[in-house]
Amino acid sequence: MFLRNAVYCVALIIGLAGRLPGQESVSIPATTSAINSSQPLSQRVVAYNIDAKYDAKTHALEGSETLTYHNLTGQPLDRFPFHLYLNAFQPNSTWVRESKRDGTRDVAFEKWETKDYGLVEVKSLEVAGIGDLTSKLEFIQPDDENKEDRTVVQVRLPKPIPPNGYVQFKIKFHDQFPETLERTGWKRDFVLGGQWFPKVGVWWHGVWNCHQFHATTEFFADFGVYDVRLTVPQFEVVGASGVEVASVNNPDGTKTVTYHGDDIHDFGWTASPHYKILNDTFQGTMGQVALRIMMQPAHWSQAERHARILKETLDRFERWYGPYPYKTLTLVDPEADSAAEGMEYPTFITGGTSWFMPGGVFLPELVVEHEFGHQYWYGMVATNEFEDAWMDEGINSYTEVKVMDSVFGSMTSVFNQSGITAGNREIQRIGYVGVADLDPMVRNGWQYATSNSYAGVTYGKTASVLVTLESVIGEDTMRQALHTYFMRYRFTHPTKEDFLKTVEEVSGKNLRWYFDQAVYGSQVLDYEVLKMESTPVDWYKEKLKEKKGETLYRSTVWIHRKGEFVFPVQAEVKFDNGDKVREHWDGQDRWTRYVYEKKAKIESVEIDPDHKINLDRNNFNNSRTANANPKPAHKLMNYWMFFTQFCAQLLAGWLV
Amino acid sequence: MAKKNNLMMAGASIAKRNGRYIFWFYLLNVFLAWSGAVAFKVQAESVMDHSLYADKVLHGFDLVTLIELISRPEFGPLNSAVMPAVYFGILFCLLNFVFMPGVLAGYAATGRLTREDFFRACGRNLWRFVRLLLFFILIGGAVFGILSGTRVGLAKAADTTSNERLPFFVQITGLAITLLVMTAIRAWFDLAETEVVVEDQGIVRRTVAAGFHSMRRSLGRLVGTYVLIRVISLIAIALGLWIWLVAVPPDSVLAAFVVGQLIAFVTLAARFWQRACGVEFFLGSLAVPAVEPVSVPSGSVPPVPMVEGGA
Repeated sequence: MFLRNAVYCVALIIGLAGRLPGQESVSIPATTSAINSSQPLSQRVVAYNIDAKYDAKTHALEGSETLTYHNLTGQPLDRFPFHLYLNAFQPNSTWVRESKRDGTRDVAFEKWETKDYGLVEVKSLEVAGIGDLTSKLEFIQPDDENKEDRTVVQVRLPKPIPPNGYVQFKIKFHDQFPETLERTGWKRDFVLGGQWFPKVGVWWHGVWNCHQFHATTEFFADFGVYDVRLTVPQFEVVGASGVEVASVNNPDGTKTVTYHGDDIHDFGWTASPHYKILNDTFQGTMGQVALRIMMQPAHWSQAERHARILKETLDRFERWYGPYPYKTLTLVDPEADSAAEGMEYPTFITGGTSWFMPGGVFLPELVVEHEFGHQYWYGMVATNEFEDAWMDEGINSYTEVKVMDSVFGSMTSVFNQSGITAGNREIQRIGYVGVADLDPMVRNGWQYATSNSYAGVTYGKTASVLVTLESVIGEDTMRQALHTYFMRYRFTHPTKEDFLKTVEEVSGKNLRWYFDQAVYGSQVLDYEVLKMESTPVDWYKEKLKEKKGETLYRSTVWIHRKGEFVFPVQAEVKFDNGDKVREHWDGQDRWTRYVYEKKAKIESVEIDPDHKINLDRNNFNNSRTANANPKPAHKLMNYWMFFTQFCAQLLAGWLV
Repeated sequence: MAKKNNLMMAGASIAKRNGRYIFWFYLLNVFLAWSGAVAFKVQAESVMDHSLYADKVLHGFDLVTLIELISRPEFGPLNSAVMPAVYFGILFCLLNFVFMPGVLAGYAATGRLTREDFFRACGRNLWRFVRLLLFFILIGGAVFGILSGTRVGLAKAADTTSNERLPFFVQITGLAITLLVMTAIRAWFDLAETEVVVEDQGIVRRTVAAGFHSMRRSLGRLVGTYVLIRVISLIAIALGLWIWLVAVPPDSVLAAFVVGQLIAFVTLAARFWQRACGVEFFLGSLAVPAVEPVSVPSGSVPPVPMVEGGA
C-alpha cells in the first residue's frame, strides 16, 4: 500500500513538475479532427484558444486568447516574446520606415492616412497560476534600434517554466485593422484577418526567434492546435484556416463560427457579405480534401478555373513531393483592389484575379498555384521566413515553375494570348538578372540591398538555381530530393543546410562547389560565345577558290566565362554541312578554344543547347551565328513602327 | 439618316477624288515612322542579329525575350531607342498642321488644285491655323479637363462599392462621352479651319464662332457622320488585327508589315474622310436658297474664294 502510494506520489510529482500552480489540467490537445491522420503529425508546442468579435463598421476586433505553451526546449524558460504584427502599420514602425525607403508591393508612402493605421493592443496578460503580468510587458526590438517599433513584446515570468512544463497565457487584446496592407485588413466590406492575434515566438537553436515585422519579411511560428471562435455579423460569409466546427446565430444579429485546426502554425480568416462559394473535393493519398473556393461575385465565371488549377496543383504536389494531410483547403478570391491578393496561411490561401481575365492569361492560376505551394513550403516545411526567405518563397517558386510548366507548357505557362507568350521559368530568371550580383540567397530577409533584390533573389534566383541544379543532378533526382526533404522535414523547422544536405544525399553528389556560389555567394553566371571563325586551311594558296563541301576549313570557337560563377557547360557547334559537335567545358578557366578541321564552315555555336541553365544572366550571348539574321530585329522594328505610326496619326488627327 | 449618308458619300467622293493627299500623307507617315523606328532596330540588331536566342521573338512573340532585350546594357538606353519615334511623331503632327490648309483648299475645289495653289493655301493660312490651334487647345483642353475630372471623380465614387465592374463601366462610359464631346469639338474646329481656308477668313475668332454655330445647328448630322466614319475605321482595324493574328505567320515580317500598313492606311484615310465631310458640310451650309436675281452695282463684286469654281 505504502509502496503503491509512494509510486503514485512520485508519479504525481514528476507529472506536475512542469506545471505551475492552478494548471493541473493544462496540456496540448492531441486532436486529429482537422487532419486525415489518426495521430498528430507535428510535435505540438502551442495551443491557441481564441474568442474574437469583429466589428464590421469600425474594422476593429476584440479578442481573448488562451495560449498554452509546452516547453520542449530542454531548458527552463522565463521570458516569452510575442509578435504584435498589426502594430507594424504605425508611422514610425520599422515596417513603415523600410517600406518608405525601399517600397513595398502595397503602398507608396507619400502620405499616411488614418485608414492605413493598424494596431494590436494587449489589454491584459495573465499567466495561469501566476497572475496578471500586464505591467511587465515590454516592447523589444531585436533587429534594429527603432524604439518606436512595437511589433514584438515580451514578458518575463517571476519563475521559469521548467523543461517539458506548460505555461498558459490568457491575453485580452484589441485589433484595429488597416485598409488592406501586407495581406491583412479591410477593403470596403471585406476583411482578411492575418497576423491579428498575439503569437508567441519560436525557440530555435537555443534562442528565441521572434523578429520584428519588416517590409520584406514574413513569419515563423510553432506548430500546434487552434480553436478559434469568430463572431461576426450574420450577413457575413466567413472562411478560415482549419475545419469549420460550428456556426451559431446570436440574438444580437451576429453569429459565431468556430474553427479547429490541427498541426498548423498560424490562423487566417476572412469575411465578406459577397462571397459566392464553390465546394469541391480532392481525393488525396491520405484522404479526402474539401476544397472551399470563395469567389467574388464578379469573378464567379472563373470559379471553375480556380478549382481546376487547385486540383491540378494538389495532384502534382501529391505525386511529386508528398501527401497533403489536411482535411480542408480554403481558397479566397479577395475583394478587388485590395492588398490581400496572393497570401498563404495554413489550409487557407488567397488568390488574385480581376473580372476581365482572358483565357490565355494564367495569372489567377499562377497565384493559386504559388499560394497552394506554400502549404508545403511554409505550411508544413515550416522554415524561418525571416532568415531564410528563399526556402519558402524560392523553393516554392521552383515548384511553381515545375507545376505551371507541367500544366500549361514551359514557354506559355504564364501568358499565351494572341500570339504573345511568356513562360514562368524565364520570368523567374528575368526577375533575378537585374539584381544578380547584389545579395546572396542566404541573407536575412530584411537585410537585402533593396526590395527588388529581395524579390529577385528569394523568388527568381532560387527558382533559377534549382532549375539549373536539375542540369547537374537530373530532373528526376531533383524531384526525389524535394520529396525526401518534404517527407523528412514536414512539421519541423529545417535550416538551409538541412535542405542542401538532403539534395546532396539524394543525388549522391558533393554539390558544395555549386551551393557555395549559387546559395552562399553572389557570383554571376554568364557565359558567352566570344567569337568564331572558319578559314580555309590553304588560305595562303594563290587563286584559292572556296567550294562548299570540298574546301577544307580550320574553324575556331572561343567560349568565354564572363562572370565569376564557375559552371560546367556544353556547347554545340553546327557546321554548314549539317554536322554537329558537342563540347563539354568545365568552365574553370576564363575561356576555352575549340579548333576543327572540316570541309565545312561553322554555322553557329550555342552554349547550353538544351537550355537547362536558367541562371545565365544573358541568354543573347550564349549563341552566335556566322551569318546575321536581321529578321528578328526587323520584326520588332515593324511592330514599333506600326505602333508609333498609329500614335502619330492619333495625335495629328486630334490636334489638326 | 439619308442626309447623313449623303454627307458621308459626298465626303467619301471628295476624299477619293483627292486621294493623292491621303497617299502623300500616308507616305509621310510611313517615312517618318520608319525614320523614328530605325534607332530601335539599330540597337536591337546589335544584340539579336547573331543570336539564336532572338528566334524566340521571331518564331512567335516571347514577351520575356523582349524584356530581356531592352534591359541588356548592350541594347543601350531605352530612351535613345524610343525618343526618335516620339520626335518623328511630333514632326508628322507639325507637317499635318502645315499642309492641312492645302488639303482643305483641294477638297473645296471642284477641280484639281495646282501645286502652287496648294502651297499658297498652306503658307497663307499657317498663322491662322496656329491661332486656331491655340483656340482648340484652350477650349478642347478645358472641356477635356472637366470631362476627365468628372469621369475620374465618378469612377472614384463607383470604386467605393463592391461591384467591381462598376468603376470600369463608369470609366468606359465617361471615356465614350468624352470622345463624343471631343469629336464634336474637333468637328467644330474642322469647320472653322475650312472656313479660314475657303473664305480666306483672317479673323480667326469669327470662324471659331461661325464653326460653333454651324456645328450646333447640325450637331447630330455632323458628329454622327464623324462617329460613323470612326466606327467604320475601328471595324476595319479590328478586322486587320484579326487577319494579322490569324493569317500572318509569326516569322513573316513582310506579311505583317503589309497588314500593319493596310491598317495604318485605313486609319489615316478615315480622318481624311472626316475632313472631307467637314468641307462638304461647310460648302453645303454656304449654299443659299434661290432668289430673284438682283442687279449688282459694279465695283461691289464679292471677293472670289480662292478655290476653283467657287463654292
